[in-house]
Amino acid sequence: MMELYLGYLEDNFYRFKPSPNSMSSASAQFATSRRIGIYEPNRQISMWGDSFKADSSQNTGASTIVEADAKHDNRLGDIPLESPGPSKKYDQEANKPADKVLRRLAQNREAARKSRLRKKAYVQQLESSRLKLSQLEQELEHAKQQGVYVGGHLGDSSLGLSGTVNSGVAAFEMEYGHWVEEQNRQTGELRAALQAHVSDIELRMLVESGMSHYDNLFHIKAIAAKSDVFYLMSGMWKTPAERFFLWIGGFRPSELLKVLSPQLEPLTEQQVVAVCNLQQSSQQAEDALSQGMDKLQQTLAETLTSDPLGASGVATYMGQMANAMGKLEGLVNFVNQADHLRQQTLQQMYKILTTRQAARGLLVLGDYFQRLRALSSLWTARPHEPA
Amino acid sequence: MQQAIPCNGGRTWFAQTAASNGVVHMAVNDRPSVDGPSTSSSSSDAGGGGGGGGMVRLVAENPVLVVGRRGCCMCHVVKRLLLGLGVNPAVFEVAEDAEAALVAELAEIAAAAGGVQQQVLFPAVFIGGRLVGGLDRLMAVHISGDLVPILKEAGALWL
Repeated sequence: MMELYLGYLEDNFYRFKPSPNSMSSASAQFATSRRIGIYEPNRQISMWGDSFKADSSQNTGASTIVEADAKHDNRLGDIPLESPGPSKKYDQEANKPADKVLRRLAQNREAARKSRLRKKAYVQQLESSRLKLSQLEQELEHAKQQGVYVGGHLGDSSLGLSGTVNSGVAAFEMEYGHWVEEQNRQTGELRAALQAHVSDIELRMLVESGMSHYDNLFHIKAIAAKSDVFYLMSGMWKTPAERFFLWIGGFRPSELLKVLSPQLEPLTEQQVVAVCNLQQSSQQAEDALSQGMDKLQQTLAETLTSDPLGASGVATYMGQMANAMGKLEGLVNFVNQADHLRQQTLQQMYKILTTRQAARGLLVLGDYFQRLRALSSLWTARPHEPA
Repeated sequence: MQQAIPCNGGRTWFAQTAASNGVVHMAVNDRPSVDGPSTSSSSSDAGGGGGGGGMVRLVAENPVLVVGRRGCCMCHVVKRLLLGLGVNPAVFEVAEDAEAALVAELAEIAAAAGGVQQQVLFPAVFIGGRLVGGLDRLMAVHISGDLVPILKEAGALWL
């Protein structure tokens, strides 16, 4: 049996000698197969099979094909369809109409080819869109697991409110993303510089960049705090493992110093004392802020608890709410103060250390955060039983 | 950076005895022109403005004075920080309506004492008669290691 493939008939048409009877069915076949071929390949092959079987009884073949014809859209309506009727004329005038037929068939062939190419292009486009869609779905899933805030906000409250909040939050998330990228780049640079034993002058430049990069972070956080302090406090902008260490919307300075100090040796005795003092001061300031937060929780709770039966009236209720709103706004102050503490601690370390030590310190910090983020990725991607 | 404290001598320090919780709050008796009632047993209001001399005296007589809004949590942070260092700060809590007048008064006092020109924000911390500043200034001074020396010099810490 001959191998059937898309376009077989067209390609091998020259093999089929135009003869009185087979001409009509062949040409009808041809036209139909063209159309079937484009939209339903499976059907086409079975149709071909049918039509070849029906060769001996051509009427059957032709009628089968004509049937199929009716079921398809006439997408290629501009191309004339051969019908059994008029072709009978060609029997009588063999040469002239043969040219016309040949030409027409060639046109059909051409059209079929173009159509096939179009189909191919369309299918390829579909395929790539499908791929992109599945990629996006994966990203979304990944982001959901990491707890990207923007996605989570979509179901919330009034559209108006979430619109404005989202823009502040979205802006921060974007900037923070850039910040992390730059942080990673700088960390790499520091690593390379220290390995290559570059001069102190060059190191100093890197250290200054690193310090001002942290300043940038506190700056964008301050803006975000005004927009949505609860978002910052939630730590949802950080990776899960980082979030575990969250303290008032960021890292705890004394913890960071504990990570840092062992990696900075050798230190002079004076430096050791200074670092020790700094750690203690930081701890004291952190404690004071934490106690302030506790106090805020307490006063907020007190502001909201009262007369659940509503006997005091609406005015009292509204007053309480207004009061509570004021208290909540105090949270912005806390986040700002905590960030200020972080900044001061970093600055003080910079003062205590030599340039080389500071470079190493920044590298240690950058590396540490990178590891935490990597850990978070691993954790998110771990195989586990779905809930 | 530190200057000699304009202090009235040791006697005034002992005039305010430490309360059991370690924080000295202004008792009503000290202030002849206080109109507002005490809201709690241990704090007083500057109900109708304390009178010019009152604040000056408070600032001068106390090695550490914290001036803040009533119920303010940042004020609480300042208090806890100072307490944590072993200091007994005097605390003056102001009602909302008296705030503006007080700010002006404090600004005058601060200017008179010299030092860094800064806006008076609450909570305001005075050490040794001079305005140190708000909470973030206090934090910065503490982190840089300068706070304890200032406190010692003002006689607020003995160690």
